[in-house]
Amino acid sequence: MTPKKAKSPKQVLIRFGDMRVGTDSNRSKRTPTVRKAKGAIEPADRFKAPAGRPRVETGGSAVADLGAPTAARPTLAVQAALDRIDLSVDLAPARGAPDHGGLVLDNPILVASGTFGYGVEYGEVVDVQRIGAICCKGTTLRPRAGNPPPRVTETPGGMLNAIGLQNPGVDAVIEKYGPIWQGWKVPVIVNVAGESIEDYVEVARRLDGVPGVAGIELNISCPNVGKGGLQFAIDRDAARAVTAAVRRATDLPLLVKLSPNVTDVRPIAKAIEEAGADAICAINTLSGLAVSADRTRAFLGNTYGGLSGPAIKPVALRIVYEVAQVVSIPIVAIGGVTNLDDVLDFLACGAVAVQVGTAIFADPELPVRLGDELRADCLRRGLDSYRSLIGTALPKRTGAPSAKGAEYRP
Amino acid sequence: MRLVAAELVESRQILPGQWLQSFHAPELASGSRAGQFVHVRTGDCSGLVLRRPFSINTADPGTGIVTLHFRTVGRGTEWMTRVREGERLDMLGPLGRPFEVDPRSRHLLLIAGGLGMAGVRMLADEAIRDGRQVTILFGALSAAHVYPSNLLPDEVEYVVATDDGSLGHHGYVTELVQEYEAWADQAFACGPHPMLARLAALAVGRRDRLGVAKLGRKRGAGKADPLGSTTARRKSFLQVSMEQTMGCAVGACLGCTVIGVEGPLRVCREGPVFAAEEIAWPAL
Repeated sequence: MTPKKAKSPKQVLIRFGDMRVGTDSNRSKRTPTVRKAKGAIEPADRFKAPAGRPRVETGGSAVADLGAPTAARPTLAVQAALDRIDLSVDLAPARGAPDHGGLVLDNPILVASGTFGYGVEYGEVVDVQRIGAICCKGTTLRPRAGNPPPRVTETPGGMLNAIGLQNPGVDAVIEKYGPIWQGWKVPVIVNVAGESIEDYVEVARRLDGVPGVAGIELNISCPNVGKGGLQFAIDRDAARAVTAAVRRATDLPLLVKLSPNVTDVRPIAKAIEEAGADAICAINTLSGLAVSADRTRAFLGNTYGGLSGPAIKPVALRIVYEVAQVVSIPIVAIGGVTNLDDVLDFLACGAVAVQVGTAIFADPELPVRLGDELRADCLRRGLDSYRSLIGTALPKRTGAPSAKGAEYRP
Repeated sequence: MRLVAAELVESRQILPGQWLQSFHAPELASGSRAGQFVHVRTGDCSGLVLRRPFSINTADPGTGIVTLHFRTVGRGTEWMTRVREGERLDMLGPLGRPFEVDPRSRHLLLIAGGLGMAGVRMLADEAIRDGRQVTILFGALSAAHVYPSNLLPDEVEYVVATDDGSLGHHGYVTELVQEYEAWADQAFACGPHPMLARLAALAVGRRDRLGVAKLGRKRGAGKADPLGSTTARRKSFLQVSMEQTMGCAVGACLGCTVIGVEGPLRVCREGPVFAAEEIAWPAL
């Protein structure tokens, strides 16, 4: 189902003056605002390179997709089969049915905290309702101004960021975005950060019961703030304490985001599970450094930054692979997802859902497209659900988790 | 803001290491204003994960041509110079807030340092279209780096300063500003951060120094427009176009901030154009 596939007969464009109307069933799923934006994009032919000129792939698949956003538009029969495929996932299965506090997503592609703002920023170019769930920017009890600039820089196959949890504070977030989120079909998971257990508990308490907040992602692993954040993710007892404290403070589904900046992540993951987390997110960024052009100082205003992007995918895979063998709660994988193969890799290593982060900056439509591609892939494999793709690469033993391989770790 | 497939129609090196590329992108050409920018996606093959922001140099709604003027500073811009005519680049835009020209301003002073010309170039077109007079003060390292005058509209007055004195005024472009300060109704600048900081310092107290009368009705006397609002910017004498390393360019990642007097400001959303009063300039 590549974007270049021959257009189906359903993709007839009828021209009424300047208005173009696509006669397909797919379009009816879009929200009116987004339909307006999409409808304004001209068909691909308009930009087709003149004959005779060499046409070179510019790499980005979005370029090919741009002119015809629904180029891979299936026929009605195929669409019906696609609609039957179950991509839904419950990230808080221990809590029972959705009305008992579960967190059921339409599809397992989420957007990672910090890369999608509060969900409204990309609204003009992305149909946010078709994303599995949105993890919003890290939110703290009090407003934070963040780190001094510069805050981001590109690195080979990735980027370093040191935003420093700039946010208007939990009350402002609830006031400003809560009503917007309430009207959305897509669940919004609020990423919560703090300097002390009391901070985390207080933020969670204020978020509890707010309409439009579907869950909490506990950010105990931000590497870019001096105090707080990372200290909870590198120590098993601290991770257990903060998770348990927040668990007591709220009935919301509780996800806890792990840091890769630890020697062994497994005891920490186990402690978080025992403390009552509904799911584990792995991983946050890796601590890194960039040097200024004149080599007189560190480039980032905060000196250290968090590395994300395709460069960290192997690390994320390793951690998901390890965590999946010691916990039984769902794992949401994060780290360098840029295409469907990455999603399938993470699923094979035991993740039930995947967050897309840095890749959104280059390709804002990627999260939505990945959902479609996963659905199409399931159809191609003849699956009713993507669940049989989960954990296929894990060791085929059911005994105690192995410590083998630990000696190879740095 | 939308995703656009822009076809490269012409690419040429206008100065050492500086390129001018023309793209066919009618949506961008008709929908953008001076000061706004586009976020260009580079090829995946090169392992570059971020888009690159560029000021829109010129935009012609009639032909649908948008031009970008950039310097090759790294792998992303080098990749762009190798794009061939007919290839399409994925651009997100137009982004950011434009320059705000007071409708009463007759004389516009544009101050550009080096590649800063790309930031203010389109404003010259817009101002001439609206019947205003434009003077561009341009500063460069040497004569070899001076923006070719044939790429500017005929109507503008073009004054050059070079650091080594090989062309025009010997010294910084900021030294020329005083001569035009009284002539100009508004000034717009783009260039290196120290240049902008110097200009901001020069602009302080201009109104009192020159004895400029406040025109128009004293509507809501004593009630100032909120800092950063369009009306406040329109009344500001100096507007600057800032740059910063950028992630998402839509305001989501908070990566491209500069420090303002009221806290961090996102270059991609509140900017890239700011009134000089909004920025917390470093002490000179």
